Formats: sequence, structure tokens, C-alpha cells
Amino acid sequence: MTAKRLRVAALLAISFVFLLAWAFPIIWSVLNSLKTDSDVLAYPPKLVFSPTLDAYRDVLFGSGSILPNLVSSIIISVGTTVVTMLMAVPAAYALARLRFRGKKFAGFYVLATQMLPPVGIIIPYFLVLRNIGWIDTYQGIILIYLSFSLPFAIWLLVSYFEDVPFEMEEAAYLDGASRLRTLWRIIIPQVRGGIAVTVVFVFLNAWNEFLFAVVLSGNTVRPVTVAMFNFVSVEQTLWAKLAAVSVLAMLPVVVLGVVAQKHIVKGLTVGAVKGGGRR
Amino acid sequence: MASSAVTSAEIGSDAPRSDFGRVLAQRERRFAAALLAPAFLALLATTTFPLIFLIWTSAFRMDLAMPFTNGFVGFENYQVLLSDERFWSSLLVSLIYTGSTVALQVVIGLALALLVMDMKRGQGWFRVIAILPVVLSPAVVGMIWRTFMLAPEFGIVDFLAINAGLGGKNWLGDPLLAMVSVIVIHTWQWTPFAFMVLLASLASLPEDIYEAARLDRATAWQRFRRITLPLLRPAIVMVVIMRTMVALTAFAAIFTVTAGGPGTATEILNLYAYRKSFTELSIGYGSALAVALLIVTIIISGVLFAMRRAK
Repeated sequence: MTAKRLRVAALLAISFVFLLAWAFPIIWSVLNSLKTDSDVLAYPPKLVFSPTLDAYRDVLFGSGSILPNLVSSIIISVGTTVVTMLMAVPAAYALARLRFRGKKFAGFYVLATQMLPPVGIIIPYFLVLRNIGWIDTYQGIILIYLSFSLPFAIWLLVSYFEDVPFEMEEAAYLDGASRLRTLWRIIIPQVRGGIAVTVVFVFLNAWNEFLFAVVLSGNTVRPVTVAMFNFVSVEQTLWAKLAAVSVLAMLPVVVLGVVAQKHIVKGLTVGAVKGGGRR
Repeated sequence: MASSAVTSAEIGSDAPRSDFGRVLAQRERRFAAALLAPAFLALLATTTFPLIFLIWTSAFRMDLAMPFTNGFVGFENYQVLLSDERFWSSLLVSLIYTGSTVALQVVIGLALALLVMDMKRGQGWFRVIAILPVVLSPAVVGMIWRTFMLAPEFGIVDFLAINAGLGGKNWLGDPLLAMVSVIVIHTWQWTPFAFMVLLASLASLPEDIYEAARLDRATAWQRFRRITLPLLRPAIVMVVIMRTMVALTAFAAIFTVTAGGPGTATEILNLYAYRKSFTELSIGYGSALAVALLIVTIIISGVLFAMRRAK
């Protein structure tokens, strides 16, 4: 009896430590964003302090505001998501459902493109975009984001399309609907959930991308993940402001992540469980 | 019913091929081509073309700082690379970083999944908290750790170390500690991924096998060793493959935390290729490094996929 109770207590303790370890860095940034610089730097670290929104006011509306960078991030992420989905949904449907020569190769090609290290893609891209004057432009960044968002989206969507029963398609076809119409009216509504999950993932990945953004961004187009560096320099770090920017950069993805929590787990596991193969 | 025969010929089964059926099959191919064309053109332009261009560039001396020395050099970049100590050290750092982070993620993730699986209440908390690190930008994660967690004096890690009697440490200034730090950060961010995947996989295991094992008086360890582990194997291998690919080309977190330093202590191959190309502006040699990284990635993934197939 006591041994069992001890075990339960140990379990609880371990799980509490892990929950804290995962949540703490995030909670701590939020707390720091509500402090003044001197409170951030206090030793021992201050848990009790009088919270202020000064840091947020400064980074949003002060000089060197990151508002334009947040807008850049939004335009890049939404743009990437729209373009990716317009291309990925038809392609995934074809790969999941249609019969044509070279289908296996096409599927393999999509998988293989995911293996390319980003640093290898950015070197040639940088040279080309520099020549056509597309550095520091939205189209330049969105185009290169397709290199990772498209294979991922196609691959995820195929697994959802494969779950739609053949009979539905057949029935619609017998009723005289064209293939395109069947796809639009019958199949796509069936995979609405899968499409939503894919949209969330593509948006998250575009919002979080860093390497391409560092190389291709300039004064006009600079997402918040890159602009964050302005708050840390050799001479001084603007502690509270940096925390506020971090929180603002985290906010959209954390909200999306928590709202779409169940679906995200499903999206993550589709590959691992399915691709692992029960065969 | 003629129409139903036509439909099944087009959609699934191998019905006898009439001329009409052939026309339909051709139409299906065209439809497929039309649906695939935009995505595949974009993939060609954003992945395959850069790859070919990259290999081509790697045969040049292309120095943006000293353009007058540029020109075709054939395999010279690769010859230089083989005797480049910084290349070998970055390769070693890459392998250590990837191997240790993936191993830690799988072991901690699995242990935690097993623990949470047995919990009757509070599972929801784990699921919500676990999603947080996974959705965060590695650049933001790196920045948070570098400043609020690992900074000397007031950083939380230093505070804990001092109070534990270890004394203050220069977490990012010491080569060994810096390496440990970037490994811990990557593990912190991505263990929840392994945890979530393995938890979902655990939940899908059939309950009756465990019932039978319990009736046979198998110990907890035996049940884990003989039932859970073999059944989870596909999921574990898949997690290892997915995480290895990402760890090999990790960039943002290391870049923001140590930028590869101190010196080259945390400079993984990926970061070396970046630094060579965009900091030292030696694009030809940087391309050769990127090709080397691609080859390493292909070799490692080849081995992992072979393991996946092997029983």
C-alpha cells in the first residue's frame, strides 16, 4: 500500500518537473516582458514585481517599431499558405487517387525534395534572386518557401485523400458529375479537416522560418524572427523589449497550436504511424 | 449497365479494356497531369534547379569579396574540403549534435509517454504544454534561452547552478558547456514531438495483448520489452528518421544562441556552409560544403531507411 502510494507520488513529482521544464522558458519570457529592464536584471530573479506594459508600448509604437515586421511576417505566412494550398491540393488528389504512368516516381520525387538541406537551396537562390532584383521582396521569399512547404503539404494531404472512400467518387461520377466537379463538390468537403490541419502547419512553418529569411530579407521585408536581433547587440541588450518581441512572435503560433492541438498531434503522427507501416 | 463498367474501368478495377476505356484512361492521365503541373513546376524551380545550380557553383571559385579571382576550378573546392580541418570538425559536431539530440528525444519522449499513458488525470495538461515548444520558432527559442535562461548572473540556469553549489558558469562561452547548451535547447524544443507521436502510437496498441500478458504473469519490464517495444518499433524508427533529418540541418537555434561559437565549438556542417557563403562570401566553397552536407544526409537517411525495412 505504501509502496504504491510512494510510486504515485514519485510519478506526480516527475510529471510536475517535466511540465514545469517545458512551460518555464515561455512563462519566464512572458513575465520578463512585463518587467522593467532593472527588474529583469535583478538578482536573485524577481518573481514578484509591479507589471507594466511599457515594453509592449515601446516595441509596437516607439521608434524602431516592430509593427512593420509583424506585418511582413503575416504577409509572408499568409501568402505562402495560399500559394502552397492552391498547388498542393490538386497535386495531392492526383497522387492519391488518379492512375497515370510515373505515379510512383512522382511520389518519390516529392519525398526526396524534402531531403535537400535548406543551406544548399539558399546559395543558388541568393545568386539568382540577386540578379533579378528579388532580394528583399515578398515574391522572392514566398517563392523559396515553396521549397519546404509544398512537399510537406502534398505529403500530408495525400494521407487525408487516401482516407476518402472510393464509392463516394464513383457515385458522383455515375450521377454525371465531371471529374473536376466531383473533386470540388464531393472530395474536398470530405477532407476539409485535413486541409485545415495542413493550412495550420504551412502557416506555422512559414512564420517560424529563419535561414531563408535572414539571407533574403532587407529593410522592406523583414519578418519578426529576424528583426528580433535588433534588440540584442554587443553594446547593450534591451531586455524587456526583447522579451516583448519574443512574446509577440510566439503569440500567433501558440494560439494556433493550442486551438488546433488535437489536429496538430494527428498531423504529426500521420507520418510516423502510417508511414511506419502496419504491414 | 454500360456506364458502371466504364466507371470502374476508370476509377479502380482492371476491367477489360475497350477502345472507349482507353480513351478514358488517356483522359485520366491528362487530368492528372493538369492537376500536378503547377506543384511540380514549382518544385522543379525551387528544389531541383537549385540543386543542379549548386553542384555547378561548387566547381567554381566564387568569392564575392574578391571577384577578380573568380573562375572555374573543377574539383578543387572538394580537394580543399578534404584537407580542411574546420570541415572535419564541423562534421564531427554535426554527428554529435544529431546523435545526442535524437537519442535524448526518443528516450525521454518514450519514458514520458509511458508515464503519462498510465495517468488517469492530467493527461490534457501534458498534451497542451507539449504543443508549445513544437510550434515555436527555433529562432525565438534560441533567443529566449540565450538571454533569459543561460545569461551569466541573472539567467535562471546560472541562478540554479549557483544555488546548487556548482557556482556560476559561462554557459555559452565555454566550448564544452556551449555544446551541451545547444544540445539541451534542441532537446527541450523537440522532445514533445517524440512524446506526442509515441503517446498517440501507444494509445493505438491493442489492449487485449496486455491482458493476456498479465494473465501470464509477465512483469512490467517483460511487457515493455516483449510487447510495447516491438509494436512501437515502426513509430520509433519513423521518429528517429524525421528528427535526424531536422537535426542535421538545424540552423536557427544554434545561430541565435552561439552562432557556432565559441570559436567553432558548436559549428555544425550546416552552419559552416552558411558562414562560408554568406559571412565570408566564399560562395563556391560554401556550395561544396552544402553538397557535402547533402551527401552526408543521403548516406545517413539511407542507413536509417534500411534499418526501417530490416526486421
